[in-house]
Amino acid sequence: MPKCIINGKEAEFKPGENIIEVAKRVGIYIPYYCYHPALSIVAQCRMCAVEIEKMPKLQTACSTPATEGMIIKTTTERVKKNQRAIMEFLLLNHPLDCPICDKSGECDLQDFSFQYGDSFMRSSEERRTYVDLDIGGVIKKNMNRCIHCTRCLRFAEGVAEIHEMVAVKRGNNIEISTIDDRPLETDYAGNYADICPTGSLSIKDFRFKKRVWYLKKTPTVCEGCSRGCNMEVHEERGTVYRCVPRVNLEINKYWLCDEGRFNFKYVNSENRLTEPSIKSAQKFDFCDWSTAIEKSREFFQGKKTTVLVGSDLTQEEIKLILDFIPKQISVLSFFHYGTPGVLFSKDDGPADRILKMKSKTSNLYGIEKLGLTGFEKYSPQTGAFLVFRGGRASVPDLGGIPTVGIGVFQKTIIENFKIILPGTTFVEKDGTIFNFEGVEQKFKRAILPPGQSKNLSEIFMLWAHLGAARRAA
Amino acid sequence: MLLKPKTSILQKIYLPDIIIGLWITIKNFFFGKKVTIQYPEERRNYSSRLRGMHYIKTINGVENCTACMLCPTVCPAECIHIVAGERPDKEKYPISFEVDVLRCCFCGMCEEACPKDAIKLSNIYEMSMLKRSVYEKDFLLEQRGHK
Repeated sequence: MPKCIINGKEAEFKPGENIIEVAKRVGIYIPYYCYHPALSIVAQCRMCAVEIEKMPKLQTACSTPATEGMIIKTTTERVKKNQRAIMEFLLLNHPLDCPICDKSGECDLQDFSFQYGDSFMRSSEERRTYVDLDIGGVIKKNMNRCIHCTRCLRFAEGVAEIHEMVAVKRGNNIEISTIDDRPLETDYAGNYADICPTGSLSIKDFRFKKRVWYLKKTPTVCEGCSRGCNMEVHEERGTVYRCVPRVNLEINKYWLCDEGRFNFKYVNSENRLTEPSIKSAQKFDFCDWSTAIEKSREFFQGKKTTVLVGSDLTQEEIKLILDFIPKQISVLSFFHYGTPGVLFSKDDGPADRILKMKSKTSNLYGIEKLGLTGFEKYSPQTGAFLVFRGGRASVPDLGGIPTVGIGVFQKTIIENFKIILPGTTFVEKDGTIFNFEGVEQKFKRAILPPGQSKNLSEIFMLWAHLGAARRAA
Repeated sequence: MLLKPKTSILQKIYLPDIIIGLWITIKNFFFGKKVTIQYPEERRNYSSRLRGMHYIKTINGVENCTACMLCPTVCPAECIHIVAGERPDKEKYPISFEVDVLRCCFCGMCEEACPKDAIKLSNIYEMSMLKRSVYEKDFLLEQRGHK
């Protein structure tokens, strides 16, 4: 492999790689705004300019490919002077409203200003201001904070494949907006906020909810569809505030769709049942775990049961169900369910050209590996249903047959359920899932289950334990 | 084994020492400088840097605070709780701003961290209350102190 020398360090590279990437690999960070590894290169922020021997002027590291024997210096006085100048230039019109801005704490402009900029400002002129129009339900625009890196334009063009963001006017008066100020149409709008190096585009849903430095970040896998995008759950004290994409070049690259990004909403929703409940007359009564489990044991006695396993459960949970349930109740058959219209993995396929898949549950492929088939129709002998749900699978029509539910249920979808044993969502448990390419991915628990909710293994432990106590008595 | 201290004859009969001790007491009691003051009527002058009761500075009736959450971040006692919101005349403002005074250790770091010159510790030190209370936003917005 060819080699170049960066700050005296020898760095190997593949031909065609730019200096930023090569330097990153040997642990040298070159600051940049407009460059993004997944977007086209424009070299217009000039922040990444470095000194290269035998070149008279500073070169932008993002647009200069490394060549054999190149000697690059990133910390010389000339480079630092340039960085200081660029920072001063960008901050000329920046409102410096970090106390208000949601980006502060993870803002590139803030970090680089601290690291590479001056601590004072020479300018006393009035700052350029814009009037901001609403650009849809996901993104809040604040044009005053913009530094015109045009990452959003290039994201819309190159990744979201929709020409909706444009730069109007020129020079100092340039303004980023949507065409005719229409609302954003793409399903990937949340990524605008992620790639924006300032707080110019921010997520409306997260607006003023929490300062980012309070959030605890746990890597996890999205359960929104069978793609299995990697993401990070940001939570504080048991409340999930947002999800952001995590880089995985083989699956989701740098992106996350809005459906997956805002999927976490049901976790802390008031609509979620978090107490063991038994239906009496028309409403659900909360009770304690021992009563609920006694009742469900009684409920299944002498009934032929069809077990429906949501394809949003993890491999571990499904295996546990297959091993445990036949020993406890008389099972007619096991089925899996998840998305209406996607019964088997052969029905699944890409739902758009970027990330989304048709199967709206994450572990359809894993559940098929364990030998379950999709739920089409139930046998007429069925006397009861036992439904396992991870929070995302949509429960099929059960024809009014009495049902016991274990898992995460919203108060709105439990019409003919008799007993609900509250379980855990994907952020409250460890597990393994298989995505549509058969990639096995593990994820870790981020928060503790709310209320009385318990893990499936704990529920089964209670079930077995209470049974043993009764047999002994 | 007990060691008996060597004492002189004067100490052994106690009386001279008692007289000396009584004299010191009488001297301080009748002729000494008073240490206490008649508190509610008389007051001491404290330094203007005294850190007392909290307040949020307002300008023309609008609170300076933008709910940037730097004071709860820096607070070592974790006694400040803010909920941020939006209203037409101000992009970000505190919907609720609570100082749990019982937890507060009056270190003044909130004042130091505040980028908007909003939270202040006034000179008021008489903070006894009839019930355990949390300073809410309305209370904090009363302008007290001269800082």
